Amino acid sequence: MPELNMHVLLVEDDLVLADGIARILRGHSMVVDVVNTGDDADRALSSREMSVVVLDIGLPGIDGFEVVRRLRSRGSTVPVLLLTARDDIQDRVRGLEIGADDYLVKPFAAPELVARLKALVRRSNPRPVDLQIGRLQLDPFARRATVDGQVIELSAREWAVLEYLMQNAARVVSKHQIIDAILPWGEEVTLNAVEVYVSRIRSKIASAGLSIKTIRGFGYMLEQANR
Amino acid sequence: MSLRTKLLKWLVIPLVTVNLGAAAVAYWLAWIPAQSAMDQSLADTAWALVPHVQEKGTSVELSLTQQAEQVLRVDHFDEVYFVVRDSHGKTIAGDLDFPELMIPEKFNLYSAYGTRMRGEDVRAISLRTVVGGETILIGVAETRIKRQQIRLRILLSLIALEFLLILLIPAVIWLVLDKGFLPLREIHDDLAQRNPDDLSPLPLTMAPDEIAPFIRGMNDLLKRAQDSARTKQDFLANVAHQLRTPLAGFKAQLEWLQSHYRHDSETAYSVSLMMASTERMARQANQLLALARSEPGDFERRRLEKISLDQLVAESVQQFVDEALKKNIDIGFDLHPTIVAGDRFLLRDLIDNLVDNAIRYSPEGSAVTVSCMVIGDQGVLKVEDEGPGIPASETDRVFSRFYRLDQSQPGSGLGLAIVRDIAKDHHAQIQVGPGAGGKGTEFVVRFPPAV
Repeated sequence: MPELNMHVLLVEDDLVLADGIARILRGHSMVVDVVNTGDDADRALSSREMSVVVLDIGLPGIDGFEVVRRLRSRGSTVPVLLLTARDDIQDRVRGLEIGADDYLVKPFAAPELVARLKALVRRSNPRPVDLQIGRLQLDPFARRATVDGQVIELSAREWAVLEYLMQNAARVVSKHQIIDAILPWGEEVTLNAVEVYVSRIRSKIASAGLSIKTIRGFGYMLEQANR
Repeated sequence: MSLRTKLLKWLVIPLVTVNLGAAAVAYWLAWIPAQSAMDQSLADTAWALVPHVQEKGTSVELSLTQQAEQVLRVDHFDEVYFVVRDSHGKTIAGDLDFPELMIPEKFNLYSAYGTRMRGEDVRAISLRTVVGGETILIGVAETRIKRQQIRLRILLSLIALEFLLILLIPAVIWLVLDKGFLPLREIHDDLAQRNPDDLSPLPLTMAPDEIAPFIRGMNDLLKRAQDSARTKQDFLANVAHQLRTPLAGFKAQLEWLQSHYRHDSETAYSVSLMMASTERMARQANQLLALARSEPGDFERRRLEKISLDQLVAESVQQFVDEALKKNIDIGFDLHPTIVAGDRFLLRDLIDNLVDNAIRYSPEGSAVTVSCMVIGDQGVLKVEDEGPGIPASETDRVFSRFYRLDQSQPGSGLGLAIVRDIAKDHHAQIQVGPGAGGKGTEFVVRFPPAV
């Protein structure tokens, strides 16, 4: 099942960009509300529950920083991803200080935005959601992976690695990130062990229309094979 | 004409004129006492004659032995003539052809004057005195040989002195001007040794009062140039920033089109071309921004912090991998903890440009490797590719703005210039050479130890 109920408020005054992002997010089965000013954003956030907010900093009327400040002062914890045309460290620090959760500099790649939004929602909402890419589907409740409904046998560690790669599909993850993600309790796993898990996973999902690319000396990236 | 030559000209002409005037005065000051001393000696001869003049009845006569007369007439150089005349002008004794005597105004005080005798210029004195009851006039004259010699000697000494002074004065003026112009030369050296972008003010400390206003004027100008450069940079950065939102919109629309028409190969192809163009535009905008940021004037305003190169590379890995995969390039990393002192954004620009450059010039299916490590006490960043390599003769030129090794590759020609500027800002050294095994290219950036 794709992520249902992922409700995005998109706040962007550039109509072409707003329309483009909205199309892309809807293409990923998200529900998108678009507003073009800080005041409209503030009103929308006061009245509606959102899964995540994509917020441009430079807005007519009240700016993105002020929208976040008001949102947090109302006690809302909805995750906020800031969009900015400036890559000043001050902007980033200020954004994160007043309670934004992530930060993306324009122009950005659509998969990057989608991946970050999904990561934000996952973090804010510990309830696991189903993951599906290509013909591979992960059911986090049952800890079961299937390809075309057929169950793939995975060890606990392999499952954790695959889940992490799926959560970060189309994004490069380092081996260290994988270790941190699968072993939150500080157990010992070597980088070599990660390589072994990945190579086993590869052979087990060979038919799922997915590929796990090796980024030499760094980590891996899971993506759809026809990319 | 140089100021020094002008000053020299202005100073030398009046100085030499004054000096020549002084020489004329000196000549007279030397000659007049000499002349009067010699006149005095003529007068002494006259006085020596007086005791020999005796009253004889109503007239007087000179009784002088031949010996005594010889003594009186003896001189090494000149002929000496004398005459004794009575008040009527009648010659009593001496040379009969002695010219007419000038009668002095007072008794017993001689008059000196020039006249001619026996066809020569002579110097004569006349003395009026009284012997017994008779007034007599005594004249003594001598030729001018001795006098001319003394005059010549004075003149020659003065000419020699003048000659020396005329040589010395310009030399001294030259040296003094040289010393006087030292502050100007120091300013020149300061300006000549600067980096092309260094617009910092000149030091006012050593400047003499005459030059200080000039330096202040210059510093005002430098300040204005700096302000204008900064305005230009800010404008550039602003334009680059302003371009980002429309570019992001364009890109987002294209990405949607790309996924929507991925099964329509012709549309997909067209969209992919537009996408490539958009990405190139986005990159150019970023290059403009990087260029504005890497200007040294701007750099000085920033504070250096400790930056972990390995983390900085890791933050950009996604972007590198996306780019590399488009050309099926095997991008690899070898990142060891490496701390350097630097500016986060500039260093990211440096890394981005080096890696982008490597990917751009690498053939499909080849490998690019980015590594960082500490060697000795230096942080080292290395980017290797298996591309065509850079000929040794071109290794310096590749860092010039707008230089492109391969004109067929799209690019701004700014990437490596930005890399060079940023490396310079960080006092880092860049080395370019063939990669391991003599193949491809290896860029090595060595950072000074982070204190």
